Formats: sequence, C-alpha cells, structure tokens
Amino acid sequence: MSTGAVVDPSPAGRRRVVVTGVGVLSSIGIGAADFADALREGRSGVRPISVFDTKGFEYDNGCEVVGFDPAGWIRTLDLEELGKASQFSVAAARMAVEDAGLPVERLRDEPVLVSVGTTDGEAYDLDRLVQAELDGGPEAYDRVAVRRVSPLRLSTAVAQELGLRQAEASTVATACSAGNYAIGSGLDAIRSGEVDVALCGGADAMCRKTFTGFYRLGTIAPDRCRPFDVDRKGILTGEGAGLLVLEELGSALRRGARIYAEILGCGLSCDAFHPVAPNQAGVARCIRLALRDAGVTPDQVDLISAHGTGTKHNDVTESMAIREVYGEQPPRTVSLKSMLGHSMGAASALGAIGCALAITHGFIPPTINHERTDPECAIDCVPNTSVEADLRIVQNNGMAFGGTNAVVVLGKYR
Amino acid sequence: MGIVITQWDAVSPFGTGRDAFTEGLWSGASPTAALDPEQWPAPPDPHACLVPDFSPRQALGKGTRVMDRVTALAAVAVGRLLEGTDEPAPDAPEQTGLVLGTTTGSVQSMTDFTRESLQGARPFYVDPARMPNTVMNCAAGQCAIRYRLRGPNATVAGGRAAGLLALSYQRRLMGCGRARKVVCGAAEEFSVTRSWLEHHARPVGAGPVLLGEGCAVLLSEDAPSGPALAELLAVRSQVYHGEDPADALRQVTLRTLVSAGVGADEVWAVSPSCPPGPAGETERAVLADLFGPGALQRLPQLPFGDTGAASAAFQLVSVLSALDRVPEAAGRPAVVSSVDRDGTVACAVLRLGERHSAARPPRG
Repeated sequence: MSTGAVVDPSPAGRRRVVVTGVGVLSSIGIGAADFADALREGRSGVRPISVFDTKGFEYDNGCEVVGFDPAGWIRTLDLEELGKASQFSVAAARMAVEDAGLPVERLRDEPVLVSVGTTDGEAYDLDRLVQAELDGGPEAYDRVAVRRVSPLRLSTAVAQELGLRQAEASTVATACSAGNYAIGSGLDAIRSGEVDVALCGGADAMCRKTFTGFYRLGTIAPDRCRPFDVDRKGILTGEGAGLLVLEELGSALRRGARIYAEILGCGLSCDAFHPVAPNQAGVARCIRLALRDAGVTPDQVDLISAHGTGTKHNDVTESMAIREVYGEQPPRTVSLKSMLGHSMGAASALGAIGCALAITHGFIPPTINHERTDPECAIDCVPNTSVEADLRIVQNNGMAFGGTNAVVVLGKYR
Repeated sequence: MGIVITQWDAVSPFGTGRDAFTEGLWSGASPTAALDPEQWPAPPDPHACLVPDFSPRQALGKGTRVMDRVTALAAVAVGRLLEGTDEPAPDAPEQTGLVLGTTTGSVQSMTDFTRESLQGARPFYVDPARMPNTVMNCAAGQCAIRYRLRGPNATVAGGRAAGLLALSYQRRLMGCGRARKVVCGAAEEFSVTRSWLEHHARPVGAGPVLLGEGCAVLLSEDAPSGPALAELLAVRSQVYHGEDPADALRQVTLRTLVSAGVGADEVWAVSPSCPPGPAGETERAVLADLFGPGALQRLPQLPFGDTGAASAAFQLVSVLSALDRVPEAAGRPAVVSSVDRDGTVACAVLRLGERHSAARPPRG
C-alpha cells in the first residue's frame, strides 16, 4: 500500500507489531543479554571522557561505549567509510537481526523500512574536520571524512551492509526523541501493511560540540547523573545505539520467533513553546496521545521509563506532566539515564529496548545514584536496586529540543 | 481520495514567494551571482545561487539575533504557506504536523560552535543561545513555535532526496491518523563551510561547486477545504548498493508507478534531480528510457545549482508551478525523481489538479 492508506485507528482492527530482536551498544553493556544484566544490576556507565580532548573543562565525565569492535559486526562495508554513529547504527542493526533469528536472505528482497533516529549524526567527524581546518585551512579537509558526514548514512548503511535491496532508509533527526520517532515510523509502516519488518531505533556518537553546549548551559553533572534526586546536577553525555526488529505479529508467529514485547502505540507531538525547555502541558498531551493510540487507560500502565535527564528543569516538568495524566499515584517511573547517561538520539530507542527486556524478564530497572527524592518530583523512581515485577504495559518517554515529544507504549504479548 | 496538496510556497534564489519562483523558473532567469567576499569569506568557488538580499533579520525582523540562515529560510516559507489558513484550537487533538527535510541542519552553526570552543580562551566560551542551532531539528522546532504547530514535528535527514523522504514520512503520518494536515518540505542554506564540504565530497571531475539554497513547502490535507493543486498518488524510496544507482532508480520508479496506478505513457512530465557528475547522466538516461525524452522536457530545469536538501522539494514545487503556466498539465500525472549520492533513490507520482492554482484564497 503506498498512498493515503487509511489505517483502522481502533486497536481491534489493525495489524499488530511486536519486537522480535534487539541490538544494543551502550556504555553499560553490549547486546541484549549483557544490557539486561546491566539494567538489573544497576550498572553505571560513567568514566572520564576519552574520545575528545577535555582540557580546560572543570569536569569531564561521560558515558562512552567501550569494548566495541566494529569489525565483528560490519562485514560488507568498509569501516573507513562509516562515521562512528553509522558504525554504531550498522553494528546494532546486524545484532538485532541476528538476535531476532531472522535470516538476512529473507529480508533481501522484501520491502523493509530502516529508520534510525539521531541528534548529532556524524558531528564527531565534523568536530575533527574543524580541528583540521584550524590547523591547515579548509583545503585540508580529509575527503574520506567528508564523505562520512551525511546523517543519511546512519540508515542507508544499514541497508547496504545487510544487502537489503528494497529497503526504504530514513534518518530521523528529531534530536533526543529521535529513537521513539523512528520506532513510531516503523509501527506505522507495519500497521499500514507496507512492510512486515522494520529495523528502527537510534544512534549517536559522543562529540565535543554537544558536550560543550550542555556544559555551557550549565546542565552537565560534575560526577554522576542523579535523576529525580533533590541534589541532581544535570546530565552526562553518552553514546551508543539501540536498534529493534519490529515485526508484524503474524510474520513473527509463523516463524516461531521469540517475542520480547508488543508495540501498542505511540504519540507524537510538539510543545510549540520553547527551543530547549520542556512544557508540562505539551508532554502530558503527548502521553495522552500515546495511551489513546495504544488503546490503554492510565490505570493499566505498570511502569514509565522516563526521559529523566537529571536536569533540574526536565525532571520536575516531566514528573508534573506524568501526575497530570496519572493523578496522585502514578506508576513507578525510572530513568535509565542514571546508568547510561544521555545517549541523545539513541536514548529513547535504548529506553524502549530496556522496557522490552524488563517486560520479558520481569523486573524494573532502578534509577541509580539516588539518595533523596526531590519533593517536586513526587514519583517512585525505584532507587538504586531493581525490583521483580510482572509488567504488562510500559510507557517509554522521549523529549527533545524544539519541544518535540514522542512517547511509545509497549506491552507484554498476550 | 488520498492525500491532497492544497498550497505551496517557496523561498528560492528567484526571491521570496511562489510568484517569484514561478516567474523566474518559467522565464528562464539565471540567479547565479558572485558572492560578496565580506559576507562569505574564502569559499572554494566565487559564485552561488543565493536567495537575494536574504538575512534572518531582514526577513523576519526582531527576535532573530541568533537565528541561523536555514532556520530563517524555513520560517519564512512556512509562514507564507500558512497565512490565511485556519489554526486548530490548542486543545484540539488533531494538530497540524510539520515534516522538514534537511541534510545536516546548519553545518555552519554546528562547526562554528566547535570552532568557538577550540579557539576560545576557555573551551566553554561559546554562545549558549546558539546551542539549539547546532541540533538538526532547530528549524522545525522554531517553525512550530512561531506558527504554533503542535502536531508531530519531524526532521528527516535525507540529503538531496530529503523532500521525497519527508513526503513519504508525511504520508505515513496522515495514513495512520496522526495528523490530518501537514506542512512538508525541505530547507538548505548556503554557507562557506557547506561549500568546502561539497568541494571535497564531489566526485573527481564533477566540475566546480555551484551551490544554491532555499526552502520549498507544501500543505497537505486529508479532507481539503480548498481546491486541490495535486493529489499525492505514491511516493517511495530505495537504497542502492555500490556506486551505480541505475538499477535501483529504474526499480523504484516502476514500483512507484504501480502503486500510483499510473502507466509510464500517461505521465505528462518528469522532474529529474540532476545530481552532479556521472549520476546525473545515469538518472537522465534511466528516466528517458522509461518515459521518453519528451516528458523530461516539459518542465524548465531548476537553475539553482546544487540546493542540497531542498533539491527534491524545489522539484516538487516546480511541477506544481506548471499549473500556472501550462493549461494541458491539469489533471495529468507527473513524476519527481531523486538520486542522492549517499545511497538513496526516490520517486513520487502526483496527479495535478484540475484547477488553476491562482484560485488560492486571498491572504489574511
């Protein structure tokens, strides 16, 4: 179906979409099993930043991906021609497809959507080109590096590496909610009948530009990220990729695939209010849109994976928005960024994967580094230690610069 | 009826607005001009196709101190497009969406921020007000704020095909009921940094770098209140592998025609993307083979140089502009093709409306 496909908006009448594979590159773990263990343990990804020179900054912690060997995952494309974010994206996609047990040959000649969200694209390369220009003028730009900087590469390279001949590849650059936007795009492409399989998620590589910007805004934490804590000091910049294999339920059942979770719905909206600050009414509206799309009511939601950056402003606004929708007793609300840092365009994709793993394995990941909950953030953030829980419906929040919100609702497949 | 395009507007090297675009395009004007060396120091090529006399302040007045050029181009185009249209109530669930294509936002803003950090006395002596400019969805966010667009707000990084990838994204949003009205288009700014990146990225032998800029936008509705300028019949994109886009382009074009229910022989006009270098010749050859050489000659070629992310969006509005100029275009299918060197080919099939687009309701 290719145009004006009107999809039945009622949950009863539409094609169902499930998560059958995940690929994870994060500061706390690589791959589904390691990431699930890390979330359960409350592992911290914090370490001093090494990917760029932090001389002159008073503090320089971040959450880098370590121990990642791109050559182990990227077998077709030349690594030299891929920027760091594209390497993350391609490797995570390969990992997700293998995790799903999907033979790549099956995908080669069927329509597939590849949708990858990002904040910075290949800004890591751009930073280095600027350094080269300051040293030797713009004539000194490295041609190979220049060819890497298009953010479209984050998605086209996935299709090229896997040999997907009928893939539509799209890079969604909606900053820090981009991962959820990409998942929403995959959800819609499967619901509408265009594709049976979509590879969706987000990727970003840590860069000087973004660290410097958040530092200057006074929103980088000096040591740890402490969402919802009364003494929280801000974010830690991070990196990584989270890619999900989204699959039409019938396709997954026919091949006997393991199903992590179902994508029940999503909400997309814009605050149209402020370039960087979130807006309570706008976030609440996006949550309501997502719940309506999922066909669930607030009392059915067992857990919220918050955007939860750990800045003063975000955490208050987000928890107030949650209370606006859920009332005085909102579901437990955790921030994976306490462990992962803020992996930008990958953040909400890794959040969605975290939700799917939590549903599968029956636990709630903790909000680590937590001492005392800010009375203005009156939610139970599951401090420091994960808890066992039978989760049926989980909400994953993503909010971004530009007031661009995206909320995805996942459920246990039943 | 599917998705209907009811308005378009553009800020282009022909000037601001739809009339300037149509007049310039169909009169065969050439907007190439020498760059002012004070405003644009040391580019690799001394010529470009700029939006004439454009600056954020001149175009939008106050509140533009830190606004970058691509954001201002988008803000002007979207503002013109929405003049005179109804604004949904803030609490209405169905809000107007915005889907904006880009290459990499403002590469000048991104790199200037890093330059400032690397050159300053302290690495964090940067202007915090410019931080949002360094993120690719800055223009879309600013447009949403200026025009209170509370629907889905997506930025699609799609290189030269961005306008078609944005259209595909929009179609999915509307098909799934996430928005009933969407502003969709793409914007690109000229900058010295962009010129140098292009200079180094070009295939060897692709000739000098002539860059253009601007923004073109469409308003689409699923239940149109006004006359239809065109119906979007189908839009598709596909990744190609290796250096040669020919097979993928042929395939994606044929698949899009099938989806649209249109035969190649019914197509009135084809707008090619004319990428620099051998890909441009390949595209022309594939399209001429599919549609015959005549269909490729019905629209004037866009004389803006390489307009990056705005390329396919300008192609789309050049097709729509035919309604003002060529009576026999009415009711006929037209094809927009795109080849991006980073691995994407894309195609859209539109059916032009029956009515002359001058029937647009009065402004205000």
